[in-house]
Amino acid sequence: MANEHPTPPHVSRNEWTVTLPSLGWLLIFVISPTLIILAQSFRPPDLTGAIGSGWTLQNWETWLRQDVQHLALHTLWLSAVTTGFCMMLAIPFGWFMARTSSRGKQVLQLLVIIPFWTNFLIRIFAWKTLLNQDGLMTRAAAFMGLIPAHESLLYNEGAVLLVLIYTQLPFAILPIYAAAEKFDFSLLDAARDLGASHLRSFLEVFLPGIKMGIAAGALMVFVPALGSFLIPEMMGGHDSEMLGSRISQRAFADRNLPEASALASGLVIGVLSATLFIGGGMAWWRQFKRRQA
Amino acid sequence: MNIRTHLAVTCSALILCSCEEKQESVLNTEPPTLHVYMWADYVKPELVKQFEHENHCRVVIDTFDSNEAMFAKLKAGATGFDVALPSSYMVKVMKEQEMISQINRSMIPNLVQITSDVANRVHDKMMTHSVPYAVSHTVIAYRKDRLEKVDPTWSALLREDVKGRTTLLNDMRETLGSALKSLGHSINSRDEQHLQQARDVVIQWKKNSAKFDNEGYKTGIDSGEFSLVMGYSGDLFQVVEENDKVGIMVPKEGVTMSCDEFVILREGQNPFLAHQFINFLLDPKIAAENMQWMGYLCPNKGALELVARTFLDHPAIRLPDELKEKVEVIEDLGPDLAKFTKVWDEVKAAR
Amino acid sequence: MKRSGFFTRSVILTVLVFFHLPLMVLVINSFNASRFGGTWEGFTTHWYSDLFRNREVMEAFKRSLVIALWSTPAATLLGTLAAVALHRFHSRLQKVHFLLVQLPLVLPEVLMGFSMLLFFVAMGINLGLTTIWIAHVTFCLSFVTMVMLGRLQDFDFTLLDAARDLGATRWQATTRILLPLLWPGILASALLAFTVSLDDFVITFFVSGPGTTTLPVQIYSMMKTSRSLPIINALSSLLLFGTVITVASIHWLTRPARKL
Repeated sequence: MANEHPTPPHVSRNEWTVTLPSLGWLLIFVISPTLIILAQSFRPPDLTGAIGSGWTLQNWETWLRQDVQHLALHTLWLSAVTTGFCMMLAIPFGWFMARTSSRGKQVLQLLVIIPFWTNFLIRIFAWKTLLNQDGLMTRAAAFMGLIPAHESLLYNEGAVLLVLIYTQLPFAILPIYAAAEKFDFSLLDAARDLGASHLRSFLEVFLPGIKMGIAAGALMVFVPALGSFLIPEMMGGHDSEMLGSRISQRAFADRNLPEASALASGLVIGVLSATLFIGGGMAWWRQFKRRQA
Repeated sequence: MNIRTHLAVTCSALILCSCEEKQESVLNTEPPTLHVYMWADYVKPELVKQFEHENHCRVVIDTFDSNEAMFAKLKAGATGFDVALPSSYMVKVMKEQEMISQINRSMIPNLVQITSDVANRVHDKMMTHSVPYAVSHTVIAYRKDRLEKVDPTWSALLREDVKGRTTLLNDMRETLGSALKSLGHSINSRDEQHLQQARDVVIQWKKNSAKFDNEGYKTGIDSGEFSLVMGYSGDLFQVVEENDKVGIMVPKEGVTMSCDEFVILREGQNPFLAHQFINFLLDPKIAAENMQWMGYLCPNKGALELVARTFLDHPAIRLPDELKEKVEVIEDLGPDLAKFTKVWDEVKAAR
Repeated sequence: MKRSGFFTRSVILTVLVFFHLPLMVLVINSFNASRFGGTWEGFTTHWYSDLFRNREVMEAFKRSLVIALWSTPAATLLGTLAAVALHRFHSRLQKVHFLLVQLPLVLPEVLMGFSMLLFFVAMGINLGLTTIWIAHVTFCLSFVTMVMLGRLQDFDFTLLDAARDLGATRWQATTRILLPLLWPGILASALLAFTVSLDDFVITFFVSGPGTTTLPVQIYSMMKTSRSLPIINALSSLLLFGTVITVASIHWLTRPARKL
């Protein structure tokens, strides 16, 4: 996007020709479905699993129920913790990656991308193997005396978090690395010369310098995590249901599409506000910088 | 640069060609296909192959893990299935919704094989729209190597030594039904007080268990991940056949019974093959072979004479006589289903 | 250049072990005679031969390949066009366009899947291969656009202007200069789209119809039946091998262009 070609006024028909295919596709298959769930959420449910006629607010009342609110808060909490852990690992990783030799960079990039590209279910399966009652991790934990032997580490919130972090971490590393690549590391030396400590120059020079990468990474981790439903289903127990699980339960088991729509619409609103919040922060920062310059 | 361009063009050309080839084969040379929608591990694969061979067709099987999920998928526009295998109570709903067509009895001569004791208990007694395929019960399996003396009662789910190592079916009717049974009520009770009692029982079970699960418990009890699970009798029978460390127990308070029945979907493409398929699986010899593989009892007169006595005497296959009285079939409750849904939501929300 | 401290190094090591240990255990277990992989019970290739004999897996794999082969060209075409538009023009329209392109990357899959399901229901479109194809093209498109945008940044558009100045038509300039130079990027993004399509479970799960069990859906149901557990290890190892090859070739295709 950021490039300096001026746009001559006479190409506007060309612009439409190249823009319309993808724009139209996305409008039809992403935007209109989203509007449809919003519309269906005001339809009454039909006992037989179809969507009734007429309009109602009753599906939205599900959000007033305590267990749904609890579920929403819990989902927010799990996503936030996942984001926090991913950031704690991704920032040092991005820092190291940006400072290492170009060969090292290539190797590290490959090593990050391979798990990212491995089939999602296989990654979950791999963790199930490690955490079940005879798994490597379980044995290690039992060996260290952390848990009794043959105690499964599966079906709890910790297992859900672990796999959430595992699947989302590459989404945090890649943008942070991209930002760190562009960071001018001589600024750190300058700060050090001016008497700042290691930690202080890291916190006050490096972190603000890669702010955009951090924001993009946080967005890529947090927002998709909000909708997880497979990981809680496979790794979690009773305490780890998330909003996504409830949506699929309402859609597939309870045959209540309107209520599933109301839940999904709520999630859309949550996703949009998270995106606007982080994206707006990024835009504000950009403008702030420009004004400073 | 030139060589690479060339390579790229060749690659994409190859990709495009293979697309076209695939498309052609899908459109022209395919034999007729029968689409079946059923539970996982519910028919012996070799028998399906035999049917394909005899009828020069292809059988594509998709699986579901609950009646409700199957119904939701069909309602959502998954047309093109020819045969489905809902439980009896769901057959009623599907019939009312006009989703299934009438059985052409003349095309299924093996219909005479269906035993009357089962036919009399299902919703569609005259078999106008559905044909009973197999009977299942919700029972308990446990690890013999880990648990000493497991009494045949639902309260085994509350044992201290299985805490966090049990699973419950993620199926409203089955799990609440079992709880109702454990209290001595009918599984089809519409009495709100009964339902509240059942809810409290399930919440107790839940507190002692690891998760709600409809399929994964098979792997779990087999590998020892779980010590005691609630599950469908045939699925558990399959595990017991392969793993002698696992045993099956039928709670003495009584269990639910469901009969899964073949229905022919109105929107199916191939009603002829659908009838052929049902008739094939009702053939006594085939049914005998099939039921010993899958571990569910087929209500088939001829087949019951052909299977081994030891197979039939297994409690997971045919319930002991003293329990037969206490078995109930899950029925459709119409609008009263909402009472179950409400209580089930409360179970799910409890912590 | 300063050497990194102990803390950073231990984080790097932790992350790398965290990433790769589970995958390595899978590969090792695929040769383990034990049915549940808890202990080593001897070397076997039994699971691999079981895998190749398993008809459902092979059919699901073929189906997934067909879907990916059909989605990739469409997604690559749409995505490349989108990238060109985003790169060349900077109107308000493109701002909206860019937002829309990013949406499928960020939107939780469960929302994409569910909303598409309701969309197809509302439009009266029967669920099946077509609906899966539409869904796959949609999310692959965004991946393609993002890769192509990166590639276009390295592209020197003055070359096109120069060609036009020398009398080439727009068509000639596009086919003779733009496309040949962009081929590696296009191929790389096509490979990415292919992999993403092959990998998708959640969205496919929502919009699939009769007879459309894809490989991930098959893996999902196999994870639940004990007879198949070790087969998943074998299958995973093969897929992992495929992933490594694909990643390496994309890496090779998109490495910074050397001076001619």
